[in-house]
Amino acid sequence: MKLTAIVGTNADFSYNRLLLQFMRKHFWQLADIEILEVSQLPAFTEDFDDLTAAEQTEVWRFKTAVNKSEGVIFSAPEYDHSIPAALKSAIEWLSYKATCLTDTPAMVVGVAYGTQASARAQEHLRQILASPDCSAYVLPGHEVLIGNVGKTFSDGVLSDPASIKNLEDNFVAFAEYATSINSMPSLQENSEMLKKPFISDAYITFPTGKLTLSQAQQIFSTIPFEVDLIDATDHFTWYSDKPNREHVRYVSELGEGVEECHPPKALPIVMKIINSFREGKSDMVQRPLMMHGHRTLIQYYALRDVDGRYLGTIEFTGSVENILRQFEAGAWPTTEEMAETGGVTPDATSGASTGGAPEGAGTAAADNVDDHGEAAANTGVADGPAIPRALAMNVDATSSASAH
Amino acid sequence: MKILAIAGSSAKKSNNFKLLTFMKKHFTDHDITIESVRGIPLFNENFSGNMPAPVIELATEAEKADAVIIACPEYNHSVSSALKSTIEWLSYELHPLRGKPVMLVGASTYPQGSSRAQTHLRDILNSPGIDAIVFQGDEFLLGNAATAFDDDGAIAAAGTVTFLEKCVAQFAEFVQHFIDEGCSDCTAVENAVAERQEREKSVEKDGEKDEERAVTK
Repeated sequence: MKLTAIVGTNADFSYNRLLLQFMRKHFWQLADIEILEVSQLPAFTEDFDDLTAAEQTEVWRFKTAVNKSEGVIFSAPEYDHSIPAALKSAIEWLSYKATCLTDTPAMVVGVAYGTQASARAQEHLRQILASPDCSAYVLPGHEVLIGNVGKTFSDGVLSDPASIKNLEDNFVAFAEYATSINSMPSLQENSEMLKKPFISDAYITFPTGKLTLSQAQQIFSTIPFEVDLIDATDHFTWYSDKPNREHVRYVSELGEGVEECHPPKALPIVMKIINSFREGKSDMVQRPLMMHGHRTLIQYYALRDVDGRYLGTIEFTGSVENILRQFEAGAWPTTEEMAETGGVTPDATSGASTGGAPEGAGTAAADNVDDHGEAAANTGVADGPAIPRALAMNVDATSSASAH
Repeated sequence: MKILAIAGSSAKKSNNFKLLTFMKKHFTDHDITIESVRGIPLFNENFSGNMPAPVIELATEAEKADAVIIACPEYNHSVSSALKSTIEWLSYELHPLRGKPVMLVGASTYPQGSSRAQTHLRDILNSPGIDAIVFQGDEFLLGNAATAFDDDGAIAAAGTVTFLEKCVAQFAEFVQHFIDEGCSDCTAVENAVAERQEREKSVEKDGEKDEERAVTK
């Protein structure tokens, strides 16, 4: 942790300077403390142009050093029941048209000849640092009031064991305080979070483009089927938030093991599917069934990373009523009609798009599963993948026609 | 009565200076002299040589006056460093505010009118070494100072002027007690300055002697 420590007087000799020098050495393992002298600074003035170039440079150096530090220690003597004008002047430099102290952790310490130990000056200093132009985070409580220098210092070094112990306790508290203040999200970030809970403006960058988090969330809520995820450790970790789901899920179910979210009767079949995915024996299993009075298709897919490692199982569930009704109304040719017009053969299409045998085995097994109480439809595997190919052919025909 | 009025801001454009200028013009019964902390160097207890001329001048004025009025701006909820520096000068080797009746007024661009700075200033003026007798009557806090004055530099609101008149009248009555009891010794500043000059001379002589010794060696 990098800290600055401001000697609160411009006097040639100061016990407050000696205290900061002691702290720099004593706490070298906890913090890198840079001591700053207010005696280097010109008296504060709003009329910056009145200063010489050298004076302006000193002010800039001082402000830069404080800006770069992660916290500031002020060591204040007491002049006339308040802080010295030289220290007040330095604080005015740090806060006039500047934000050097804003949201900066600050610690107040002080030494004085008498027993009062600059207590009143420290109280003024805390008030000054809390004013809106400073807005420093002053460590509350934790007073370091070192008085009676004749007894507490020897040969210019703090030597009184009780004072050293007190200083150690307070400095450790400050180091912890400064760490937590500095890791706080800014107020602006906080107010963003209030406006948009759970969603920030972050992007997910894919090889094929980027999505904001809110776009990604809304895509899952909009696609015409629902998605559930069981992760690689067989826990239910996510589902798409979609209105009128076929399977009604609750946030409280998240994190449950597969055995918790399936009835015992269905569990062996479910585990058989998941294990076949995990072992790489199959990639997809599908189940046509009736749910809530309409024809529904459930498809389980193995979720793998680009290297083929198993990441989990995703379950897609959606009503196929809309597709079937369009088909029945003649939207597409039947498989037989396609064969007659010299189109692709059903076998070739099926093999090319779904990876062959394992799905058939999966379907047969899944047909017996009735984990949600619906009757499994007694139909065969729907041969959907022919459709895109047929459309592709139409597109080809069109483009070749236009080429003529 | 003879009053020294100190404007507590070092800025070229100062509402507190403006306030005192108005008071000098308005309260013709009193002989008001206005000084500013602008030009007073930053206090340093290890200053060398004689005391800065502006400090001696201000201290002499204060000593001669029957009373002092300080117009206090507010910087960071406290007094300006320029005013604090001036008070440090007036409580180190010179103590011209000792036993002197002092009244606080203040102006600021915000509605509070330097209230927190005035509270700090009372703490400061009550500390040993200054020993001022701070008048504890009504508080004159001129807020929104940027719009408080008319084109002639007078406080525009009649009610505010009436209140200021009341404050000054109470203070004048308070000061009169001290005048009646007899003026304090007015040679303390002069003596302190002379004393320091003597000391500086002897330091110079010692320096010369050192040089002579170095030469003879």
